[in-house]
Amino acid sequence: MAGFFVFLCGISMTDKRFSAASSIAGAGLGLRSSHYQHIFEMKPDVPWFELLSDNYMGEGGLPIARAEAIRELYPITLHGVGMSLGSADPLNVDYMARLRGLVDRLEPTYVSDHIAWVSIDGKYTHDLLPLPYTLEAQKNIINKISQAQDILGRTLLIENPSSYLMFNCSEMSEQEFVGGVLAQTGCQLLLDVNNLYVSAQNHDFSADEYLSVLPKDRVKEIHLAGYEDKGDYLFDTHGYTVHDPVWLLYQKALSLFGAVPTLIEWDTDVPDFEVLLGESKKAQRILDEVV
Amino acid sequence: MSKDMSLLELQQSFYRAVFEPESLDNDEFYTCIRPTVNLSGEKLVNVYKDSILGGLNEALSSIYPVCVKLVGEMFFNHMVADYLNRYPSGSPDLGDYGAEFSGYIADFEPAKELEYLADVATLEWSWHRAFNAPDSVGTDISSLADLASVTENDRGSIHFVTTPSAILVRSIFPIHQVWHVNQEDYVGDGIVNLDDGDVCLVVWRNATFGMRIDVLSEQEYAFLQAVIDGKSFSEIATLPCGSDLSDVLGRCMQTGLIAGFKLIN
Repeated sequence: MAGFFVFLCGISMTDKRFSAASSIAGAGLGLRSSHYQHIFEMKPDVPWFELLSDNYMGEGGLPIARAEAIRELYPITLHGVGMSLGSADPLNVDYMARLRGLVDRLEPTYVSDHIAWVSIDGKYTHDLLPLPYTLEAQKNIINKISQAQDILGRTLLIENPSSYLMFNCSEMSEQEFVGGVLAQTGCQLLLDVNNLYVSAQNHDFSADEYLSVLPKDRVKEIHLAGYEDKGDYLFDTHGYTVHDPVWLLYQKALSLFGAVPTLIEWDTDVPDFEVLLGESKKAQRILDEVV
Repeated sequence: MSKDMSLLELQQSFYRAVFEPESLDNDEFYTCIRPTVNLSGEKLVNVYKDSILGGLNEALSSIYPVCVKLVGEMFFNHMVADYLNRYPSGSPDLGDYGAEFSGYIADFEPAKELEYLADVATLEWSWHRAFNAPDSVGTDISSLADLASVTENDRGSIHFVTTPSAILVRSIFPIHQVWHVNQEDYVGDGIVNLDDGDVCLVVWRNATFGMRIDVLSEQEYAFLQAVIDGKSFSEIATLPCGSDLSDVLGRCMQTGLIAGFKLIN
């Protein structure tokens, strides 16, 4: 049998595993595959990493091995888009079981997903789609989050959406919708400050007012990213450094919620690791100023 | 929009507006959306449509990079556009999307001249699945080290098991060469003689995560296919590939393609 093409990647696993009870603090980074090698070689001073859970749903192979190797070095959180919590479909229990397996394997500090829907009639768009802010939609997502928390055996963090459209049938504001979900599920909030800024600009509402009504003890993680100005609307590309108005809104959020662990997200045209690290250092400096 | 539209109806309408943009039923849905100063309901939905279709296209491009290179990005996008409509993603895992692409290409009239394209797509899908396959066989599978303890009477009942990543592929074209010359790090003249004849391949991942495409003999291919089909050692011995069974088995065990066995009486 003639061997053809062999691709190998060595992974160093030397440091002691962080305990399951690891907490996160400071400004972390979203883990991206183009940075694996740099991280394993340099072991950069990053307080924690967030892994996109949907990238590690395979049963084996290099991705999950790398995730475990990262977990040996740093505290992690898991962030996903696949729960489709806002869908009128039943919760996908097969997916939840796979996610439970991943959670048990990696022992993240937090597991999070979005206030959005991704699928309908069992057909997946793989994109985060907007909900009408109606009582029906709120009751639906409350039920799904409760089921998801039962299956995972832990409290979820849910992320506020960035959106480009609003439905005429909405019966309440986004902050009322989110507040009701938090109140009735016991879940925590992953406050995406960039999403909030994008939605506030697109729909002409006050981001400051939105922040002021959120329950102060429920914001457990913050996301920061760069949007793109498309002229007629802001688009949440995660492909730029964090814009100045978002940094300002972030400072406002920290003044209300304290030094909440903060993550720099970058998904499109991912730059060198040092660029992301620079953004996280900037967030850390702002965090350090919080009394 | 009617205030009475349920969440289910709203989401179904949204999905239709994305994947069936020509449907006349979309007009009513667009009125459910609050227009902005510059953007109508339809244009706002199109922001999502472009993002969704772009994301699915990107997913297929990343699974099928050689196909993209062979036909060019523009043709690939054209080929994918109809696929996205005809084959909805049925899994929350985007890595599960694209399984039917090879069969779709085989029936895609504008690509008929590239007879080998569908088989190249099969090879790329196999690579993708092997890359994410489980690391080891199940706990009910005995290690090959335990073969020595199988009594002579039980040997015919041995059912060998391949490593979980092993996927067999065959083609009447030398698709492994087509694949090879289209890799980013390939250096050479890039010439592939399509008349080189048919080829039997196994795509798999070794114990150190090394991805491999190995060329198999007809005998090896038939043996591994019989193993995957769940045939016992005694059944395989009666097949044409059984004439040289010990050599074939030895080679497959040595490489790691055969990973264990179980006894089924």
